[in-house]
Amino acid sequence: MTALSTDTPTKPTHSPAELREKQDRRRAMGLLTPGLLWMSLFMVLPMCMVVYVSFWTQTTFAVESTLTTASWERFLSSSTYLSAIGTTLRVWAIVLVATVVVGYPVALFIGLFVRNKTFQTALLVACVIPFWTSFLIRVIAWRPMLGTEGAINVILMKLGIISEPLTFLLFSEFSVLVGMTQIYCVFMVGPITFMLGRIDPSVIEAARDLGASFGTIFRRIILPLSLPGVMVGSIFVSVMVLGEFATAASLSGRKVNLLGNIIVSQVGSLKWAFAAVAGVVLTIIITAVIALALRIVDLRKEM
Amino acid sequence: MLTLSRVSRRYGETTALDGVDFVVPENTYMSLLGASGSGKTTLLRLIAGFEEPDQGEISIDGERIDGQPPHLRDIGFVFQNFALFPHLTVAQNVSYGLRYRANAPVSNENEIKDRTESVLSLVGLSGFGHRAISAISGGQRQRVALARTMICEPRVILLDEPLGALDANLRARMCDELKAIRERLKVSFLHVTGSETEALTMGDKVAVLSGGKIVQSDAPDTLFSHPNNVDAARHLNAWNIFEAGLCGPAMGQGTVAVRFDQIDVSAEGEVPDGRPWLRAKYLTGEFNGPTALSFFRAEDGTLLQVIDHLSQPRLPDMVEGQHYDLHFAPDAARQFHGAA
Amino acid sequence: MQSRILRPTLAIYTAAFLLFLYGPMIVLAILSFQSSDGGPQFPIRDWSIYWYQHLLGLTETSRVSQLPVGDSLLRSILLAFMTTVVSTILGVMSAEAFRTKFKGSGPAFYLIILGMMVPGVLVGLGMALLSNTLGIGRAWWGTSFVLHVVYTYPFAFLVMLAIFNRFDRSVEEASLSLGVSPAQTFRRVTFPIIFPGVLSAMLFSFTLSYDEFSRTLFTIGSQLTLPLAIYGTFSVEIYPNIFAFGVLTTLFSFTLLVIYGLLMKRFTAKAARFKGQEEN
Repeated sequence: MTALSTDTPTKPTHSPAELREKQDRRRAMGLLTPGLLWMSLFMVLPMCMVVYVSFWTQTTFAVESTLTTASWERFLSSSTYLSAIGTTLRVWAIVLVATVVVGYPVALFIGLFVRNKTFQTALLVACVIPFWTSFLIRVIAWRPMLGTEGAINVILMKLGIISEPLTFLLFSEFSVLVGMTQIYCVFMVGPITFMLGRIDPSVIEAARDLGASFGTIFRRIILPLSLPGVMVGSIFVSVMVLGEFATAASLSGRKVNLLGNIIVSQVGSLKWAFAAVAGVVLTIIITAVIALALRIVDLRKEM
Repeated sequence: MLTLSRVSRRYGETTALDGVDFVVPENTYMSLLGASGSGKTTLLRLIAGFEEPDQGEISIDGERIDGQPPHLRDIGFVFQNFALFPHLTVAQNVSYGLRYRANAPVSNENEIKDRTESVLSLVGLSGFGHRAISAISGGQRQRVALARTMICEPRVILLDEPLGALDANLRARMCDELKAIRERLKVSFLHVTGSETEALTMGDKVAVLSGGKIVQSDAPDTLFSHPNNVDAARHLNAWNIFEAGLCGPAMGQGTVAVRFDQIDVSAEGEVPDGRPWLRAKYLTGEFNGPTALSFFRAEDGTLLQVIDHLSQPRLPDMVEGQHYDLHFAPDAARQFHGAA
Repeated sequence: MQSRILRPTLAIYTAAFLLFLYGPMIVLAILSFQSSDGGPQFPIRDWSIYWYQHLLGLTETSRVSQLPVGDSLLRSILLAFMTTVVSTILGVMSAEAFRTKFKGSGPAFYLIILGMMVPGVLVGLGMALLSNTLGIGRAWWGTSFVLHVVYTYPFAFLVMLAIFNRFDRSVEEASLSLGVSPAQTFRRVTFPIIFPGVLSAMLFSFTLSYDEFSRTLFTIGSQLTLPLAIYGTFSVEIYPNIFAFGVLTTLFSFTLLVIYGLLMKRFTAKAARFKGQEEN
């Protein structure tokens, strides 16, 4: 043991506590460095690159690093691209509301009304299972469902409710909204169920004993306690919907152009600077949405 | 010999330990008595090296150990929650230290097996080696925790409220066993507890930690009958502590402590000559089997307790709400000067 | 009490929701058994497994070109595996770092979490621009791989953070007090205890990477992964072979899930076996 006394710090200015703290901090930093480095190099740097290239000069098939605002001017003066911003925001807002409206009652049932743990878990698993099918397959699955000869039209015609197939179902904004709502709804159901599951049933029991109606209990207890779940779910859904392009590409028949689709098509025609402008606009929108949400809910605490 | 001198530890604004001077002699069962939040666990963690002091020195046999990483300190630690390795069997838990320690690990399987078995039999767990931790009772876990520590033959074993997680019956039995095991090992135990009975029963010596300082460290009987200060007396839960002024000018200034069992009660104005006394209102009585406890309220609001042993009753019949005179022999009182 | 009406209503609603969730997949599965001359819609001309044979290249020449499944499947699995290993290691390391309080932990936390928030098209675009500028070739094992880790590492990190939150630190301290070095303590105590969590983090990473395509789209180069092979069919007409493919990949994913389940069960079974001895 005596040989180890060489390790003992001799600097009188630092107490052992300070040295230990320093050592712990150094260890934490050491463990964290590879991850942070990875994120800086492969996420932050590319994002900076997007902003940078948005000011480059676009030639027919290439970009040059001469700085200009030409791409920005073209983007902001084009009604096509400005309407893409509008479409993106509209689709985002509708899907967000739709996921809450569709998902909340389900979360309410699973989180609050099902008291059997096994059944609760089974229902949650049932919600998650579709995720083991490829995302793209799940998108494409809406085509035979909504098409003019798709399942819904066939059923409705067999039932005699309609005589002509409904054509607005597929290759329209409607199909994009339905597809996105179905795919992203679970991200709303999950967090809300989690929050509702944390409500002590005896609180509701007590309120009921005091003669509170379900409406009052819902307004005073259930809704406030589930709001953080709604916020977390909203962050998930927003981030995914705003960056979407595949659903629109597959189900809208090119009728719906989101910012994501603009980026993809611009990259396809090698208009890098232009894609970058759309990317920066998208980044600004997403940052604003997340910043707003984080102002309302502390993500670190809720996780 | 484990020595702490002027050891301090602060967490932000709060001071957990404030210049602790403390010695644990060789081959001693040392109890450390302190209320919850007194910093007693912090003190153990500093000795074990899980945390480091802001000031002061900790040394064993003259060799400084503060600043050394915990795994090189050669100090055993028994946790309140036992902290057994849940993924290992009892035998694997016990042999863990021997096998994987940084200094002189043992790789000879036979030796490991022999030493594991002998230490398991020392704590009365022969034949339990193959069991999982989840398959043994609380008392058995306590023994595994102890065996796991003992097999490494550390220089000192620190026990952080080791009986806290056990039920009352088991606690009494483990008390005796811990003492017996220590005597066989001839290693010093530093046993931290919040219970004064546990501290007094177990310790060859008892130290009292209060306000971030060791206020007294003595043999249990000395401590019990001669607390050196108000803080020590208060922790023993056997002393009435009140202002000397309550007894009139006879006691002078300062604070007086009189043991529960050394106060007599008589009707007002019937105090025998030569005995200091104070006036107090009888609140209520509490019957505890062989003893009875009576509660009084002194005129400045101090709560006083008097113990009466059923075999030798010395209290008169009392009426709740009536005033009585409480008196005691002059030499039964311990008088402290300075702030209470 | 209103719950007498509310409860069944919500139950029926939830059932309808599940139908909404599964309906398209069920229809897709049914249509995958379309006959060779049938289209990707109703009615089913004749039940057959033609499109499954087509997918596996067992049919004679066909008007529909075969899906490039074989190579891309292998590539996707390899990529997902690489991503899983790296992001799990990074996730465990970072979560371990977050057990000690340190200055700047807030920004560091959000920097990591950002990886799962940033849309795939954006980082994909950025990475493509970066590789253009730096003259680095794009490949699934390079530019795509690093972005996959950017995406899955935050998930692995969060899983491990949750695991460490419930971890009893005194077990590690006990190991240190027995003279075992911090490195050995991690290997012998910490890691075995957190291993189920590590397995979950790996499952998360693998699933996410295996299905990832928006980050891959601009960074893949010429050798495609499986999702990109499917994405390629989006622009052209679809045929029931893609439905058959959907059914098969779903089955494949379930196989993975079962393997994971069995692995987890092995650990719990071990604990249960020891528990059983108590009754003896």
